[in-house]
Amino acid sequence: MKKKKAISAVLAASMLAAVILPGCGSDENSGVTEIEILQYKPEAATYFDQVEEQFNATHDDIHLTISSPNDASTIMRTRFVRDDYPDIIGIGGDINYSYYVDADILADVSDYPGLADVKQSYLDILENLEITPKDGVFGVPYVANAAGILYNKDMFEEHGWQIPESWDELIDLCEEIKSEGILPFYFGFRDTWTCLAPWNSLAVDLAPADTCKKVNAGETTFTDNYREVAEKCLELVSYGPDDPVAYGYNDACTAFANGESAMYPIGSYAVPQILSVNPDMNIDSFVTPGNDDPEKNTLNSGVDLMFAVTAACEHKEEAYEVLDFLMEDENIQAYIDDQNAVPCKEGDFDLAPMLDGMQSYIESGNMTDYQDHYYPSEMAVDAQIQTLIINKDVDAFLAKFDKDWQRYNRDIIREVQEYNEEHGTSD
Amino acid sequence: MYEKMKARVNWPITILLFIGLITVAFPLYMTIVIAFKQPTEMTNSISGILSLPAHWSLSNFAQAMELTDFWRSLGNSLLVTISTVVLCLLLHSLMGYAVGRNKAHSKIYNLIYLFIVSGMFVPFAILMMPLAKQTAEMHLDNWAGVIILYVVFYMPMNLLLYTGYLVNIPIALEEAARVDGASTWRTFWKIIFPIMKPMHATVAVITALAVWNDVMTPLIIMSGKGQNTLPLAQLTFQTQFGTNYNLAFASYLLALIPIIIFYVICQKQIINGVVNGAVK
Amino acid sequence: MKKVNDSKRTYMLITIPILALFVCFNTVPLIRGVVYSFTNFKGFGTYDFVGFRNYMDLFTDPRIGGSYLFTIKLAIVATILTNVISLILALGLNSKIKGKTFLRAAYFVPNVLGALVVGYIFQYFFTYILPGLGEVLGIDALSGSMLSNSKTAWIAIVIVCAWQSIAMNTIIYISGLQTVPEDVYEAGDLDGATGWKKFRYLTFPLIIPFFTINMVLCVKNFLMVFDQIMAMTKGGPEQSTESISYLIYNNGLSGGSFGYQSANAVVFFIVIVAISVAQMSISSKKEEQL
Repeated sequence: MKKKKAISAVLAASMLAAVILPGCGSDENSGVTEIEILQYKPEAATYFDQVEEQFNATHDDIHLTISSPNDASTIMRTRFVRDDYPDIIGIGGDINYSYYVDADILADVSDYPGLADVKQSYLDILENLEITPKDGVFGVPYVANAAGILYNKDMFEEHGWQIPESWDELIDLCEEIKSEGILPFYFGFRDTWTCLAPWNSLAVDLAPADTCKKVNAGETTFTDNYREVAEKCLELVSYGPDDPVAYGYNDACTAFANGESAMYPIGSYAVPQILSVNPDMNIDSFVTPGNDDPEKNTLNSGVDLMFAVTAACEHKEEAYEVLDFLMEDENIQAYIDDQNAVPCKEGDFDLAPMLDGMQSYIESGNMTDYQDHYYPSEMAVDAQIQTLIINKDVDAFLAKFDKDWQRYNRDIIREVQEYNEEHGTSD
Repeated sequence: MYEKMKARVNWPITILLFIGLITVAFPLYMTIVIAFKQPTEMTNSISGILSLPAHWSLSNFAQAMELTDFWRSLGNSLLVTISTVVLCLLLHSLMGYAVGRNKAHSKIYNLIYLFIVSGMFVPFAILMMPLAKQTAEMHLDNWAGVIILYVVFYMPMNLLLYTGYLVNIPIALEEAARVDGASTWRTFWKIIFPIMKPMHATVAVITALAVWNDVMTPLIIMSGKGQNTLPLAQLTFQTQFGTNYNLAFASYLLALIPIIIFYVICQKQIINGVVNGAVK
Repeated sequence: MKKVNDSKRTYMLITIPILALFVCFNTVPLIRGVVYSFTNFKGFGTYDFVGFRNYMDLFTDPRIGGSYLFTIKLAIVATILTNVISLILALGLNSKIKGKTFLRAAYFVPNVLGALVVGYIFQYFFTYILPGLGEVLGIDALSGSMLSNSKTAWIAIVIVCAWQSIAMNTIIYISGLQTVPEDVYEAGDLDGATGWKKFRYLTFPLIIPFFTINMVLCVKNFLMVFDQIMAMTKGGPEQSTESISYLIYNNGLSGGSFGYQSANAVVFFIVIVAISVAQMSISSKKEEQL
C-alpha cells in the first residue's frame, strides 16, 4: 500500500508540477517599453535580426523584439485566439488583411506621419482590400513584389529576341522561339499555387481591377470579365511543356535555370530559387502583355509586406518610433537588396537587376494589385485554374467560378450589399 | 526453447527480404546523394539526380546543423520525446491493465475503453484552436503542456495496444500472485508490467516516432515563443518560394539517426520478450 | 471479499485520474470545437451563431462529397495493401534469417523519413523515373506522370501511404508474433501442419488482437491522410486528391472557413468512430469464438 501511495503521489506531483511550472509572466522593466513585431517572412529573418539589434543598440527607452517564425500564419491565428496580440504584425496585402481589418484586429494608423512618404498607389491597394470601406488606414506598406514573365537574358541576346509589348508580339515571339527548337515557357502546375502566376499577370491587363468587388456588390459576373483571361492563359500554357501539371515549382525553377526554357511566367520571388541552381544566370523580367494595345498593359504588383499596428497595442507612439526606424531609407534599401523586393516608399532606391524590365512601370506607378488577393483561399481558385489547364473547358470553368464565388463569399457578399443599401453604391 | 536457436537459417526468406529491401534502399540512396550535393548539381534528368555528388563534403551537414541550431534543437526533441515516452509507458500500461482486465465483464469499463479509443479519431484540426486557448488559460503554453498533450493524444492508440496485448496474458498468472497475498497494485508492477515488455518496446517506438516527427503540437501550443524542436527548426529549409533540398536532406538524415538507434534497442526488447517462457 | 474490494478500488484509482486528464485535454476542447461548428467563425475575430447552416451546406458541397469518396477509396485499398504486406514482412522478419537486426532496422526507415524527403523523392519517382522506365520498357500506361492524371494520382498516393506505414504495422505484427507460444507450433508440428495451414489455423487466430489493432490504426491513418497529400499533389490534379483532412486544414485553419470545416470535422469524426466501432465489434466477436 505504501508503495502504491508513493507512486500515485509521484504521478500526481509531476502532473501538478507541469501545471504550475510554466514560465512566469514578463517582468515590467521600469521605463523600458517592450514592442514586439511578428512578421510572416522567415526568409527575411536575417535582415530583421539585424534591424532588431541596431534598433536596440540605439534606443534605451524601447526594447524591440522581432520574431520571424516558420509558419507564422498558424502562429498568428493561435495567438489571436488567445487574445495575445503582438504590437505590430508584418503581413501581406491579401485577403487575410481584409479579414483582419474587418475583424477590427488592426488599429487605425492614419495619424502616422511616415504614411506621407508611401507611394499613393500602394495605399490605394490596401484601401481597396477593405471589404466594406472603413475610415482610416490600417497598414503601412513596406515592400511590394511584382510578377510577370522572367526570361533568360543571355539566351534572348544570343538569338536577338525582342521584349514583346503586346499580346501579338508575345505570341509571335513564342512561335519564333519554338521554331528554333527551344521551349518558350516552363510551368510547374503540380504545385497548384503556381497556376495563379500567369493567371494574375494576365488578369490585371484584361479584367477591371475591381472585378471581385463588383461581383460582391452584385453588379457583374466573372463569366463577363474572365473569359479572355482564361482563353489567353490557355494559349500561354500551350507554349509550355506537354504535360505542365506533371512538374512542380521546383522542377520548373530547375528547368528554367538549366536553360530548358527561354521564359518562366512567375513572380520575382522565384529568382533566388532559380539562382541557387545556376548562380551565373542572367535573369530579367518583363510585364506580361495581355493587350494588343501596349498602353493598356499594367504591372502586376501588390503589397508583399506591410506593418500593421494591432488594436490591442498599448504603446502606439513607441510603435510608430519602431516603424520610423524600419522606414529609414537605408533599412529599406537593405531589405530590397536582400529580398529583390520593390519599395513602397517614395525615393531613389537601387532595384535588383531582374526588375530592370519593369522599372518604367514601377516609376510611373502603373501597377495593379493581384486579383487573387481578393480570392478566399478556401475557394481554391488555383486548383480550379489547374483544372482549366487540364480540361481546357473555359465555359465550365467560368460557370464554376461564379457559382463557387457565391458559395464561399456568402457572408462577405451579404455584408457588402447591406453596406451598399445603407450608404448607396460607392460610385 | 533453446534448441530452436540451433534451427538452420531460412535462406530463401533471407534472400527475399534482401531483395525487397530495394524499396527502401533506393529512396535512401537518393536522400543520401542529394544530401551531399550542392544546389547547383540539381537537375531534372534521371541520370543527373542519381549520379554521385561531385565532391563528398560534409559542408551541407555542417551548414544544416548551424541553421537548425542542431544540438539545442536535438536536446529539446530528446527531452520532449523521452519524457513523453516514459509517462506513456507508466500511465498507459496502468490504464490498459485497469480497463483491459475489466472491460469484458463491466459495462462501465467497456464504455470508458470505447470512449478513449474513439478519441483517436478526433481530427486534430478541430482541437487546435480550443487547445491553443485552453493551454494558455492554464499557463500550459510551454514544454510541460506539450508533453501532457502528447500523453493524452497517444493514450487512445496505446490503450488499444496494451489491452490487445493483455488478452494474450493468462489471468491465471495474476491469480497465483493474489493467492500469495499481493495487492492488485503490487501484482501489476511485479508481474504484469514486466511481462508487457515487448509491448512496452512497441509502444515506445510508435510513440517516440510520432513525437519525434511532430510539428503541429509545439507550434500551436508554444506559438513560436519557446525553443525549437528538430522538426520545427527544419521548417527553416522551406520558405514560401524556395526550398533548399540539399540542406534539408542532410538535416533529415541527421535527425534519422537517433530514432533508428532507439528503434534497434527497442527491437531487441521485443524479441527478447519473456512472454513465451512466462506463459508456459 | 476484501481482495475483490481492494482490486476494484485500485482499478478505480487508476482509471479516474487518467480519464480526467483525457477528458480535460481531449473531450473538453472537442466540445468547444463542436460549438464553433455552429458559427461562422473564421479562426479569429468575432463570430455569429448560424444554427445548422454549416451542416446543411456540407450535404450540398460537391467538394466534400468528392473528398469522402477519394478518402474512403484510398483508405480501403491502402489498408488492405498495408496489412497484407506488413503481415508477410513480419512473418519473414520473425523467422530464422541472417542479418535480422539490420533488416528490421532497414525496413523501419520509411517511417522515419520526413514528409519533405518522402515528397521530393516520390514526386521525382512518379514524374521522371517511372515514365522513364515506362519508355524503356515500352509500357504506354507508364509513360505519363501518374501525378498529373486525375485517374491515377490516387494510386500514387496509395503507394506512398502504404510505403510509409508498412513499417509501423510490421512492428505491431512482430510484437504480436512474440505472444504466440512455441508449444503451439510444436503441437502443430506433431499434427503435420505446414505453411499456409500452420499460419491460417495456428498463428493467425492468436494474433487476431493485433490484426484488429492494425486495422483500426490503418483506418485512422488513412482516413485522416494529410501529410502525403501535401507532400505529393496538394489536392490536385483537378482537385481529385483532396482528402477530408486536407479540406479541414487548408480551408479551416489556413483559410477562413473555420466554422464550416469544424462541422466537417464533427461529421467526419462520427463517421470514423462508427466505422471503427463496427470493425472492433466484428473482430472482438472473432476473438470470442476462439
